[in-house]
Amino acid sequence: MPVTSLPAEGARRARLPFPSWVGEWAGLLPFFVFALAFMILPAGVLLVGSFQDARGGFTLINVSHLLRPAILRSYLLTIEVSFVSAIGGALFGFLLAYSVTLGGASPAVRGILLTFSGVASNFAGVPLAFAFIATLGRVGLITTLVKAIFGISLYDAGFNLYSFWGLSLTYLYFQLPLMVLIITPALDGLRREWREASQNLGASTAQYWRHVALPILMPSLLSSIILLFGNAFGAYATAYALTGGLINLVPIQIGAQIRGDVLHDPNLGYALALGMVVVMTLSILGYSALQRRAARFMR
Amino acid sequence: MSDPSGIHPRRVWSSLWLSVGALYFLLPLAATFLFSLHGRKGGLSFVAYAHVFADPQFSRTFLFSLEMAAATIAAGLVLMVPTALWVHLRLPRVRPLIEIFTLLPFVIPPIVLVFGLIRVYSRPPLILVSSPVLLVAGYVVLSFPYIYRTVDTGLRAVDLRVLTEAAQSLGARWLTTLFRVVLPSIKVALLSAAFLTFSVVVGELTLAVMLAWPAFGPYMALVGRDLAYEPAALAIISFLLTWGSLLLIQSFSRGLKGTTAGGVH
Amino acid sequence: MKKHPRVLLAALLAVGVGTAAAAAPSVLTQAPANFNDLVAAAQKEGQLTVIALPHDWVNYGEAISTFAKKYGIKINELNPDGGSGDEIEAIKANMGNMGPQAPDVIDVGLSFGPDAVASGLLAPYKVRTWSTIPAGVKDPNGYWYGDYYGALAFEVNLDVIKTPPQDWSDLLSPDFKGKVALSGDPRTANQAIMTIGAAALANGGGFDNPKAGLDFFAKLSKVGNFVPLIAVPGTVDSGETPVTIRWDYNAMSNRDKTDGNPNIGVIIPASGVVAGVYVQAISAYAPHPNAARLWEEFLYSDEGQLIWLKGYGHPIRYADLAARNVIPADVAAAMPPASFYAKAVFPTLDQQATLKKYIADNWDSVVNVQVSSNQ
Repeated sequence: MPVTSLPAEGARRARLPFPSWVGEWAGLLPFFVFALAFMILPAGVLLVGSFQDARGGFTLINVSHLLRPAILRSYLLTIEVSFVSAIGGALFGFLLAYSVTLGGASPAVRGILLTFSGVASNFAGVPLAFAFIATLGRVGLITTLVKAIFGISLYDAGFNLYSFWGLSLTYLYFQLPLMVLIITPALDGLRREWREASQNLGASTAQYWRHVALPILMPSLLSSIILLFGNAFGAYATAYALTGGLINLVPIQIGAQIRGDVLHDPNLGYALALGMVVVMTLSILGYSALQRRAARFMR
Repeated sequence: MSDPSGIHPRRVWSSLWLSVGALYFLLPLAATFLFSLHGRKGGLSFVAYAHVFADPQFSRTFLFSLEMAAATIAAGLVLMVPTALWVHLRLPRVRPLIEIFTLLPFVIPPIVLVFGLIRVYSRPPLILVSSPVLLVAGYVVLSFPYIYRTVDTGLRAVDLRVLTEAAQSLGARWLTTLFRVVLPSIKVALLSAAFLTFSVVVGELTLAVMLAWPAFGPYMALVGRDLAYEPAALAIISFLLTWGSLLLIQSFSRGLKGTTAGGVH
Repeated sequence: MKKHPRVLLAALLAVGVGTAAAAAPSVLTQAPANFNDLVAAAQKEGQLTVIALPHDWVNYGEAISTFAKKYGIKINELNPDGGSGDEIEAIKANMGNMGPQAPDVIDVGLSFGPDAVASGLLAPYKVRTWSTIPAGVKDPNGYWYGDYYGALAFEVNLDVIKTPPQDWSDLLSPDFKGKVALSGDPRTANQAIMTIGAAALANGGGFDNPKAGLDFFAKLSKVGNFVPLIAVPGTVDSGETPVTIRWDYNAMSNRDKTDGNPNIGVIIPASGVVAGVYVQAISAYAPHPNAARLWEEFLYSDEGQLIWLKGYGHPIRYADLAARNVIPADVAAAMPPASFYAKAVFPTLDQQATLKKYIADNWDSVVNVQVSSNQ
């Protein structure tokens, strides 16, 4: 989509006595000031404790604890759970969003899906865990129904809600709606004209998707996946209520060190949180690199 | 988009996925609802719901959280929409930095954030610790990921450069461009952002409890701590109330002028 | 004791900072000669901020409302769901903050007391009834003092379980397949980790040798009786986790709340009886120091102690109350017989530390919970 340049806007802009890059960043100032004041500074004041011992002296011991195999494993596990629920949420969320945009569902259904997604996207924590326990737990609704109707015991057959896959299934409840809400505007943006044009050119549906729609959607898809990943990565309450004590996730370890009744090494907790920040930052940098490659497909 | 020729394969798939989705989402709610009806022994009863509604704290805390949600949505959009616009139009290479900043709230534990906020803002020069401003600021931080991502995706879906330059070549000043051209074309994204922020604020627990505010999240946690049937009833009630609020917001927004880019509607 | 000079220094520092931060009121270390002076000073402050006190945890609800009504002092309740760590971190975060976000008093697990003293977070105060508090559960300088104790008991949903377990070995029977759960994560919850200690005690080990406890839970998991879900009233009542182990006062409180829907049974095990003490303390940075001291005086008066007893917790001055015959007959009758508690073991600070370290290092491996995406 070619962009023709228009009469110089600079002619209308006032000449400021600063170098041009100041003007470049000026519009982002409110955001950065706000983020610094209410996120970076407060979090930093505490996370600096990662490098302190109990009496406040400088130490690297907490950071060195992060390299213990048990803790590395729990980071890996947290990444796995987050990744699985991000991909699952992205895939099924995409299908649901597709159904109400290009799939031809009525506006009423679309409205219901979008508002429901708004609620479900934050239906997490204890109520969600309990809802799934009440559905698929050992005496849950589905478990007892299946036993009564088909005579099969799900748990004897090997199903277990209190497991990695049970937790991922539960996480989907807030991942799916988030995907729906984010990707719907992007799907709306797929012009009908492009579809018609590609059909007129003789392309099949698969070709349309592979060469037109997916490349256009790829940036939005990637950014949604990283968002879902982050969403699951920091999740604590749902994991604790459903599999607390069983699955060793990093947020639960942090809670144990900072908030719990048993262990109490807040500096280790802060180091663990700092580790999560590092993992997240690295993931974002990796995703940004992917974005740049994906952008090359377009124009 | 109607298809006069009858059953379209795309529609069959859509109905299938929507049905599967409905099943996945409604079953756990149904199970919770069924459990909440066991408040009285030997039969189903709504007594757990009666208990919840009879509690004055229920409406008090929900209304408080509604107010906070409205404030957060307003503040969040005012802060993030221009920022996202600036990134799109002027400074795309700052995108990774913004992404990092807006995704950080996911990995900063809320308890760390709130204790940090208390430490920084409970002493001069800026004592905000007992002001609702601090709570709203904290909520805006928690909503960063959602607001930025939805607005960013919405902006991608429209041809922003063409639209803004066309508007300016027609003589519109940037404020007019913003309100009459850009915002209406990302209406769906703005709605999504509002929905997500609303849910985040109404359910939020840690910030409200440590800053000593009578919010809905702490109330739900309190009820859920000790009782069995009331929390299930409360979960259903809060779900329906939040859903109703979002439906209201949506119907209100239908009255406002707007377009969805691409014209699928 | 070598510790005294450092503790004294911390005390002076705490008092110093306390007086610096709270400009006017004096920071007493024991009740003034005229008790009404304390009452008047507390009423002048007008407020008290407490933290992590659920209303149904040893009847704190009644303690709070009685205190508020008796002295006309408003009580701010922070974070009822909080754990001991939350309370300590809340004091640290609110140093210098005079607002209602700063806790005045805390009620924490035994091991958190000495740590908090070392960090200079507490202010010493000896209540009028100080001498009747047993020596082993109070800090000699008055920084922290035991408040109540209870024994770990089996909480059983009797509508689901027809023959409740009477001892730890019963839990291994096939009747309890998929039915036994802990009441918390052992790395986070005091009740859960003490449960493992109790299991160790009942199986030939003890707090100095916790391996037997982990082995017990490994076995429980192997025979399929252990449900890896945290048992809360909802899951006990629904039958998902019909058998769990928690403090007797909490179990009995849950029993009362369900009011037969379902029937809950509370059984002190025949062997491996473990008791745990919680301790009170006053924050060195309390915005309302006099109200805090008045609150402690209230809790350690006969009236306050009996309120806890009504909540099924053994108040720390129980022996003194019993000796003076001030316990009402109905309150005494509602408690399990004293003989059940005769064998109760109170783990010392060192024993708790040993247990904690061992569980933190070994819980994952022994209970086969190295869950990965392969499962």
